[in-house]
Amino acid sequence: MAVNHAEFVVLGAGPGGYACAFRAADLGLNVTLVDPRADLGGVCLNEGCIPSKALLHAAEVIREARHVGDWGISFGEPKIDLNKLREKKNGIVKHLTDGLTGLAKRRKVNVVRGTASFTGPTGLEIDGAAWSFDQAVIAVGSSPVRLPGWPDDERIWDSGSALELRQVPKRLAIVGGGIIGLEMATIYAALGSNVTIIEFMEQIAPGADAEAVRILHDVLQQQGVIIHTGTKVVEVKATKAALGLSCEGVFDGEVKADAVIQAVGRSANGHLVNPQAAGVAIDARGIIAVDATCRTNVDNIFAIGDVTGNPMLAHRATHQGHVAAEVACGHAGALDTDFIPSVAYTSPELAWVGLIAATAKERGIPHKVSRFPWAASGRNLASGGGDGMTKLVYDPDTKRILGATIIGRNAGELLAELVLAMEMGATLEDIALTVHAHPTLSETIAFASERALGTLTDL
Amino acid sequence: MSDVTASPSVRALAREKQIDLEILAKDLGRTTLTREDVAAGASGPAAADGTIYWDVDHSQYGPVSEEPMSRFAQVAAQNLAAAQTLIPAVTHHDRADVSAIETFRKALKPEAEARGVKLTGLAFQVKALARALKEFPRFNASLSADGKTLTLKHYIHIGIAVDSPFGLSVPVIRDVDKKGLWEIAADIGDLAARAQERKVRPNEMGGASMTITNLGGIGGTAFSPIVNPPELAILGITRAEITPIWDGEMFQPVPMVPLDLSYDHRVINGADAARFTTYLVNLIADPRRIMV
Repeated sequence: MAVNHAEFVVLGAGPGGYACAFRAADLGLNVTLVDPRADLGGVCLNEGCIPSKALLHAAEVIREARHVGDWGISFGEPKIDLNKLREKKNGIVKHLTDGLTGLAKRRKVNVVRGTASFTGPTGLEIDGAAWSFDQAVIAVGSSPVRLPGWPDDERIWDSGSALELRQVPKRLAIVGGGIIGLEMATIYAALGSNVTIIEFMEQIAPGADAEAVRILHDVLQQQGVIIHTGTKVVEVKATKAALGLSCEGVFDGEVKADAVIQAVGRSANGHLVNPQAAGVAIDARGIIAVDATCRTNVDNIFAIGDVTGNPMLAHRATHQGHVAAEVACGHAGALDTDFIPSVAYTSPELAWVGLIAATAKERGIPHKVSRFPWAASGRNLASGGGDGMTKLVYDPDTKRILGATIIGRNAGELLAELVLAMEMGATLEDIALTVHAHPTLSETIAFASERALGTLTDL
Repeated sequence: MSDVTASPSVRALAREKQIDLEILAKDLGRTTLTREDVAAGASGPAAADGTIYWDVDHSQYGPVSEEPMSRFAQVAAQNLAAAQTLIPAVTHHDRADVSAIETFRKALKPEAEARGVKLTGLAFQVKALARALKEFPRFNASLSADGKTLTLKHYIHIGIAVDSPFGLSVPVIRDVDKKGLWEIAADIGDLAARAQERKVRPNEMGGASMTITNLGGIGGTAFSPIVNPPELAILGITRAEITPIWDGEMFQPVPMVPLDLSYDHRVINGADAARFTTYLVNLIADPRRIMV
C-alpha cells in the first residue's frame, strides 16, 4: 500500500488550525490540513463564535427596537421568522467558510476531509489511509462537557445545537452561567423565551470582576432572565410535558423547562487523535501540555488551541497557530503573554484582560483600582446605552495597568486599547495623555486613567 | 508578570537574537527596554552576560572533572563581580610599625590566658581602625544608589572577612568604638569560630563601616582587596615582617605590617586615602594614641 506523505500536517481546521496551516504555507511549507467537517473553520465558524454573534446581533436589534419606545419611536412587537433568521445566520457562516476554502486554495494547502489518528511518531491514519509526516500540529479543539447522569432527550442541547435555532422554547433553562451560557440567555431571552440560568458558583461569569458582573446580572434580570447562582442541578426528570431540573443550594426547588442548554464548560479533544501512539503526553482531561513555542513533549509534534487547555479561546488558538508554524520553520516564535482578553457578547458586553482586583488582592499584588461609571459618559447616554463601567487595576508605584474590565456596549471592541496598553507597558499617564475622540465610549478609558491620576474634570 | 517592560515587537526581536530581557535590563540597570537596547545587545546571550568567555569545552585540552558551585559561593561570586564592576576602586599601600603592639601584647599574655581570650594583633587593628574612622567620618559612609547622597554613619561597626570551608563570609563587630580590647578580641574569636561552622546569624552580618581582610596568618606582602559594598573602603592586612628601617643613623630591625586600603574613588580621593592611612599607621605604631 502506498503511503501518503505530509511535510507539515495540521489536524483540525478551526481558528487555530487554519491559521497555523496558512502561516506555514506562507512560510514555504507543503501543508496538509485535516478536518472531518465539510467546511473549514471548526467550532468557531460553524457552531460557535460566528453563528452566536449573528444571533446576538438579531437579539440586539430586537432589544433596541423595544428601547426606542422611550425616544418616541415604536415599531410594534417584532415578528420573528425563525427559518429566515436561521438561513441568514447560516448564510453568514457559509460566506466565511467558503472564504476560508478560497484562502486555502490560494495557498495550495492540501485539505483532506477525514478523521485522523496517530499511529507513531511520524505516522497517521486518516480514515483508514496510512500517512507519514515530518511535523504535525494537533489542533482538534474541545467539545461541550456533557453532564453525567442526564437522560437522553432531544430537548437537552449543547451550545452547538442551541445555535441551530431549532425552535424558541417557551421556557429555557441554561445550566452554567459562564460566557457561553450568558450569550445563549441573551439570544433566547430576546427571541421570547423565559430564561432561567443556573450557576454553581457564587456569581455568573466566574473569573470576571464581581462589580462588573453585578451590573450584568441586574440588566439580565431586567430583561426577564431568572438567575440562580450558588445552585446545583442534582437531578433531571424528563416527562412529556417538560424537563424538570431539581436544584439545591441558594435556590432549592425545581425549574421546569421546555429545553435545557448545558453550558458548563468545554473539555479538550486530545484523546480523539490517539496522541499516545506518537508518544505525546496527554492528561486525563484530554489536555496536551505545550511550552510557549507550542511544542509537545515530542519534538516534531505541536499542539495549539483548546486542546492545550485554558483559556479555550479562538484568539489564543490563532496566535498559537502562528507560533507553531513559525517555530516549525525554525523561527524564534513564542506565545509570551498572559494578556489574553475575554469577552462575553452579552447585552451589555462584558470584557476583561489581566488581573481583576479580587485576584490581585488574593495574591498580595500591590494594586489600586480606578473606575469610570458610564452614567457620566455623554456618548453612552446619547446612544441609548444603559449602565456600564470602565475599571482599571494598576500598580500604585509604576502606574502600569495590571488589568482592565469593561462592562457596557461595545466593551469587547474597547478592550483592545487596554490589551495593547498592557503589552506596551503603558502607564495611566500614557493613556490619559493620549487624545481620545469626543464623544466616544473609548473616552471612558482615558477618564478612568485621569481619575486615578487626579486630573479628571468630567466627574 | 515580568518586571521588565518591553513591547511585543521588542520581545520578539529579543527572542530572535536569543537575548534574555531580564538579564539585559539588569545589566543596563533599567526596567524598560526598547528596540535600540535589544539591537545594541549584540548577537546573543553572550553579549548580555558575558558567558561566551567561559563557554569553553576544557576537556579538549586534557582530562577535567567538575564540581558544582555551592549556593553560598554563587552569591558571594555575584556580589564580588558586582562590586568589582560598579566601584572605581584604588588601592593605597603602606606599612605600620607593630613593635609597640607586639610588646604590649606579650605583656598582656598572662592576663589573656587568665581571661581565656586570645589577644591577637587583629584586635588592635580593629580598635585602631575604629579610631581612624572617628577621625575621618567620610570613610564611615555609604553612597546612595543614584550617587546623589552620602550617608554618614554615627556608629562604628567593623566587618571581619572570614575564610571558611563554606567560602567567604563577613561577620560584623558592632560599636567597636565603645568596646575595650578584651571585648573586641573575644568578639573576633567568637564570630570567627562560628563562621567556620556557618553559624553566624544573618543579623550579625551587614551594616559595617569598613571591613578588614587579614591574610597575616597566611602570608603575602600586599594585595588589592575588593571593596565590600555599600562600604566605601576595605583594609587588607598581610604578614608582619622584620624590616630594616633607617632611624636617621642606622638601620633598625622593625616588625612592620603591610596595609592595603582599597577605596571607592567616587567618594574618597587619593590624598584623603593617604592621610587616612598615615593616621592609621601612626595609631598602630603608637597604640596609646588610640586613647587620646
